Amino acid sequence: MRIELDRPRCEGHGLCEEAAPSLMHLDDEGELVIDRADVGESEAALAHAAVRVCPVAALRIA
Amino acid sequence: MNTAGSVCRRIVVVGNGIAGVTAAHTLREAGFDGELTIVGDEPHPAYSRPALSKALLLEEAGLTSHHLPAPTHGATELMGLTVSGLDLDTRCVLLDGGEGLPYDRLVVASGSRARRLSTLPGEVTLRGLDDALYLRERLASVSSVIVVGGGPLGMEIASACRAGGCEVTLVSQGMPLVQQLGVHLAGILTRAALDRGLAIVESAGAVLEASADGMVRVVVAEGGALEADLVVSAVGDVANTEWLASTGLSAPDGIHVDTRGLARPDVAAVGDVAVMPTPYGRRRIPLWTSAIEQAKTAAAALLLGEAASPLELRPYFWTEQFGLTLKAAGRLPVSGDPEYVEGGPGAGLMRWPEAAVALNYRIPIPRLRRLSVAAA
Repeated sequence: MRIELDRPRCEGHGLCEEAAPSLMHLDDEGELVIDRADVGESEAALAHAAVRVCPVAALRIA
Repeated sequence: MNTAGSVCRRIVVVGNGIAGVTAAHTLREAGFDGELTIVGDEPHPAYSRPALSKALLLEEAGLTSHHLPAPTHGATELMGLTVSGLDLDTRCVLLDGGEGLPYDRLVVASGSRARRLSTLPGEVTLRGLDDALYLRERLASVSSVIVVGGGPLGMEIASACRAGGCEVTLVSQGMPLVQQLGVHLAGILTRAALDRGLAIVESAGAVLEASADGMVRVVVAEGGALEADLVVSAVGDVANTEWLASTGLSAPDGIHVDTRGLARPDVAAVGDVAVMPTPYGRRRIPLWTSAIEQAKTAAAALLLGEAASPLELRPYFWTEQFGLTLKAAGRLPVSGDPEYVEGGPGAGLMRWPEAAVALNYRIPIPRLRRLSVAAA
């Protein structure tokens, strides 16, 4: 599975980083960086948790 | 799955908001592979409630800012149905119309509704998606609006109405936002609102009355009446507990739960309907991240009982209004002046003994949380 970011929607809350710090982080300017977009089965739950916690649905699983 | 001493094959979730949906996902992730049913009283798929009073009111076209990803919990979704009762002895949720939904475990996520000041149809409130779509439609054709209620929701609605070009009067008990945020932050946001043309009427109380022409007028306690093309009230919310009236589970303020979100071993209550123990007393915390954290905790507790971890409450709040975005971690309201960690008034990172606040300043929540704790 692949994590996709709809950047214009992102408001930089960073709740996703909190849910899955191994997959994404906000940089010094507060912009979200997806460190690993392609995730395997073992991290699927983490990826889903990060996607679901976003209040503006800026992330999705493709 | 055998849990808490009895077989658990069927779980019913009442409520399809973010709390109910998160509970359903968490149950699946924890290994529950039995029959899962979600009942929602709205016909819509789950949506982001915070967006309704922010981006959705301002969005030019498309109307997608409230959308959430499609659920993956595989539950049977019964949408547009109202629940009318609950039988704890036979473990059965009663649907409006008489049908029963048997369960082994139940998640109560029936949320809350807008508190109203009157029964007048002209009193507009904003709670659900249909409310927001209706308000949008009305804003396109009115030129003056009165918003009653100086909390974050009232201020966000006032901000959207101003941005839409309306003359807007906000009726507030004292300075807006003081109760929720404290004097310092309330002052910053109120100044921004005044700069953008909001008229504020401070009043100890307001009553809504029908005026002769079929409109609603706002009578303030100090004397005098205000009129506008549209009157919106934003004066808090009331937990939806009527369907639980005969169970003994409901209190006047909501469903009281323990530190794991359980009202009893086979019933969890999560989200806006739940009254939980906090370091500052028992209360509802009707906020996005609170709903998610409660739902995760309680879903695990339904399956694991006392082996599940208790809720670690980590409040996060944000608001967008009058050109400002405020994000807060920790305990609100804050008293006194902050220490500026970065930036200054207008855009910066502030710290109080038990809270950290970013104003027009992008910062990862984990860092904001660390600041709010480090300062304690």
